[in-house]
Amino acid sequence: MKALVIVGHGSHLNEDSSLPVYEHAERIRQSGGFDEVVECFWKEEPSMRHVLDTVESEEVCVVPAFISEGYFTQQVIPRELGLDGPVTFKDGKIVRYAGPLGTFEKMADVILERVEDLMRGKELREGRTALVLLGHGTDLNKRSSDVIYLNARRIRERGVYDIVEEAFLDQDPEVGEVVGKVEAENVILIPVFVAEGWHTRETIPEDLGLTGEVTVREDRTIFYGAPVGTHPSMASLIAARARETEHYEVVQNVS
Amino acid sequence: MSRTSPDRENVAVSSREAFAAWVGEAPEGRKFGQVVVRKLPSGGYEIRHASDAGSENLEVHTNPRDARDISKLTEAGEYRPLKSSPNLRRGWVLRLADDRELASAMNYLYPAAISHWYLLREGRLKTTSFRENAARQSGIYERVRYLSDEAVQNAARACCEDEVCLKKTLWDVDENTPLEMERGRGDIPCPEPCSVFISFARRVRYFEREEENTSDGNALTPGERRDLAALVEAAASGEVKMAREAEFEKPLNQRRMRYRRLTLLPKLRPEE
Repeated sequence: MKALVIVGHGSHLNEDSSLPVYEHAERIRQSGGFDEVVECFWKEEPSMRHVLDTVESEEVCVVPAFISEGYFTQQVIPRELGLDGPVTFKDGKIVRYAGPLGTFEKMADVILERVEDLMRGKELREGRTALVLLGHGTDLNKRSSDVIYLNARRIRERGVYDIVEEAFLDQDPEVGEVVGKVEAENVILIPVFVAEGWHTRETIPEDLGLTGEVTVREDRTIFYGAPVGTHPSMASLIAARARETEHYEVVQNVS
Repeated sequence: MSRTSPDRENVAVSSREAFAAWVGEAPEGRKFGQVVVRKLPSGGYEIRHASDAGSENLEVHTNPRDARDISKLTEAGEYRPLKSSPNLRRGWVLRLADDRELASAMNYLYPAAISHWYLLREGRLKTTSFRENAARQSGIYERVRYLSDEAVQNAARACCEDEVCLKKTLWDVDENTPLEMERGRGDIPCPEPCSVFISFARRVRYFEREEENTSDGNALTPGERRDLAALVEAAASGEVKMAREAEFEKPLNQRRMRYRRLTLLPKLRPEE
């Protein structure tokens, strides 16, 4: 039997924080491919420490529902799950550990689907259109922003938008600057976040003076999308990420 | 090298079967946490709130995953970050086809509980002490390792006793220092400090530092003064609105107040 374990951050305070993980898990259950699909969290139950005790399958793939590579995917998740690399043999199970979602090739497709959903039925101004990918960013960990640059580059290479820019909340280039100064009449702003939360619902709209999905300023129109992580296509990205780990074992056995 | 070990026991399978058998042995059902689980004469299983034992007109669910929605919010609509808190809402019944659905629903109502129940019954549940758990914490939780033994004891009394969590606390401060508290009367074992406890411990570490910086041991710390002031203001307004369950930075949090009861009341009533 084969199980997929999706790891989310979860929250002690916000009941919606774990919702995308449950929704993606349910979509993957419906689409088949795994005998079991199980959710676990850092801040909610079941904890990563105990989730494997609830999994019946001998083959387990763990996919972190995290966008960036960094503290959680490299340190906290392996430590809490007791993993010692891409493949771990543990309590009679083989556990394969996938990387974060944001670095996966198909992430750019999900971002573009999010844009498509946002722009459906909306009119663009005459002129150029810029896509701005928004990450949290932190000066403490450079890798946290890598995933934004990576996806911006991948989308830029496709040549769909006149301009593709990166922007952040907690590091430069700062989102207010980017949205205000990018040389385009249409600015599509997509938060590359895993879930809705305080930032996507409150701080970002407040700081930028957004009035909803569409904000018309004198010189530009800003289109503000929902976070990429809540898009239904993330479920197939998670499943694909899981399937990709199946070759990990070969690498492990050679070494 | 064999990829998996079929000869090794599969805890999830064994616990599912053992739990179903345990339930099946008692026609009147088994109480577990706040629910009663019963094998139905017609086949399958039923879970309902123990206080709804004789109730009719309950909302009927047949999908085990509905247990997640049932366990998410309290009767008053508050979020439940800790599923073993004694605030599971009433008014529903889960009718489940077989032991797999039963295990699945139980894992949403009381995550990992039947595995731990089974392992404890078999004498094989591994526990992790507070010190072991604290030693592996990083980031904002790293500081919990500096808690004194006394503060760990008080934090556990405030955070883990049956009034606020129905699990039976099996872990200790460290291997030589047992917790001195009411460990709980229920069937759900707690083998290791949970994330809610670690988050609470982080707050208690702030309290302890304030204590260390207050020269006279009987003087109130700034935090204690703030909490008292908040309590007075709330009571004077006629409505003491408690903070959310895991909102430990707010004065009127129940666990925080339970901790204050252990550490502040002796200062306020030194003669007792």
